[in-house]
Amino acid sequence: MFAKLKQSSQLFKLTYRTCQPIQISSKNYGVVTSEKDDLFLRRDKTSKAMKAYIDRAQQHDEFMQKQREEFEIGKRHLANMMGEDAILYEDQEKIDEAIQYLMPSALYDKRARPMMKPPEKVFPGRKAAEFDETGRPYSFLFYTGKPNFFQLLYDAVEHLNALNKFEDEMIRQQKTVDLAFKLELTGSEWISQNQLELKLVESIQPVEHRYFINTMNRLAEHPYSYRVKEFIEQYRKPLMNQQIIFDIPKPQLDQDGRFFITVYECLRKRARGDVTVRSPGTGKISINGQPITYFENDQSREQISPQKKYNSHCSIKRYE
Amino acid sequence: MLLLKNILQLTKFSPTILIKNYSQYAPHYIDPIFKKQEQDNLIQSGEVSKIAFLPIKAARNNDTSSVFHDHRVSRMVNYIMKGGRKDLARKLMSETFERIKRIQIERYHKSKTDEERSKLILNPVQILHMAIENCRPVLMVTPIRRGGVKYQVPVPISEKSSYYRACKWLVEASREHDRKTHLPEKMAFELLDASNNTGRVVKRKQDLHRLCEANRAYAHYRWN
Repeated sequence: MFAKLKQSSQLFKLTYRTCQPIQISSKNYGVVTSEKDDLFLRRDKTSKAMKAYIDRAQQHDEFMQKQREEFEIGKRHLANMMGEDAILYEDQEKIDEAIQYLMPSALYDKRARPMMKPPEKVFPGRKAAEFDETGRPYSFLFYTGKPNFFQLLYDAVEHLNALNKFEDEMIRQQKTVDLAFKLELTGSEWISQNQLELKLVESIQPVEHRYFINTMNRLAEHPYSYRVKEFIEQYRKPLMNQQIIFDIPKPQLDQDGRFFITVYECLRKRARGDVTVRSPGTGKISINGQPITYFENDQSREQISPQKKYNSHCSIKRYE
Repeated sequence: MLLLKNILQLTKFSPTILIKNYSQYAPHYIDPIFKKQEQDNLIQSGEVSKIAFLPIKAARNNDTSSVFHDHRVSRMVNYIMKGGRKDLARKLMSETFERIKRIQIERYHKSKTDEERSKLILNPVQILHMAIENCRPVLMVTPIRRGGVKYQVPVPISEKSSYYRACKWLVEASREHDRKTHLPEKMAFELLDASNNTGRVVKRKQDLHRLCEANRAYAHYRWN
């Protein structure tokens, strides 16, 4: 038994001493790798939505690039056709004139007529990538569905709060608003819903547009709103001055040396008249050679007679 | 969707887009200012800059810059007018004024004391103004249905509406009763009475006020 033990212990010692750690050659138990499979793996991580998004973005970019190139070449062709220098056709107005000349159109809607414009103006804009590869959105407002719109409102309110803070400071320093700096809002109006849609590259509902206007009005009516002038001006559209639109005719000299103005085709219903007003006047009124009694109606007479006091001789030719 | 709901609630109180009364004009068009005095006032106060950029509607035929033009008179002529016969309506109005003038002159010459004479108003346009002012109601009643019953609930009346009602009542009173007497005669008497705060039209206004007072208890029905 002793011998057996000894034997076993010897065996144990033998094994212990000689028992080196088993040298196992490191083997890669993972999947067999090749380049093609690598890509397949990586793509598998991205969702289908992401894949579609990337594809669309690529396609759009390629398309716009192609259109841009075509437009650039087209400008040169156009210059060639018109027999003019290519440099002139960098100006969009020149291009419009040339297209109008080459392809005259009497279509009512101007958008239906042939046009040649840079691709950014013709094709609707697209937003840049809103989220990264992993699908994480860049904007904290992404999940509102309209990040640009709500970002705009957020900015407006931020500005308003800043202005309020500034106003408090001014009051603390006992300073009043300088009225000379106050924003002039009479000559402009807020951009329309369509324009806002184009600007933000998002669809805007009428309700949202109204809300936007109310917010901006709140901001613009602040006494210190001039401090955020650039922000407000972005969303203002200038109105046309009525005086500039309405062409006032210039007075001409008569044979007798009196100034006169004749306005042709004055109309009311089916009546047409030419009105002549002479400057150093007698106050006489003649209508088709007759005095004011041409009009039997008192009301019609009243419409003309007050003009007598403007020191003019008025003659109206009336024909049906 | 929640966000939109909140927006809707907020925008209920400040609508910026409204098409009123099926007008041919867009809402931002302003009424023409045809009186020289009003134009000068606007220029002086500096309010011209606000309307300089706004398009103006075409001037109406009955709005003139004449000295004889009066807004209330032209409105009254419109209320008298029937079937678009403006010339007839104007004629009736001028006859009414003539009658008023004659009556007042008669009274003037018949009066014995200077005090009486000074109190008499000879200008028929002024009498029209006074008559309309005296006939204007302050409240009106609207029928509101609650629990199957229609109550006459007193509600406030706008300035425009009150002027309309006053003119309408005067014209109605002038058209009633005696069909053989022409409108100018009846109208002259109605206007003179109303300017003195007496007569049928003023009574009608007072009856309305009494009704409003009686139905005071239902006033809260206006807001449910």
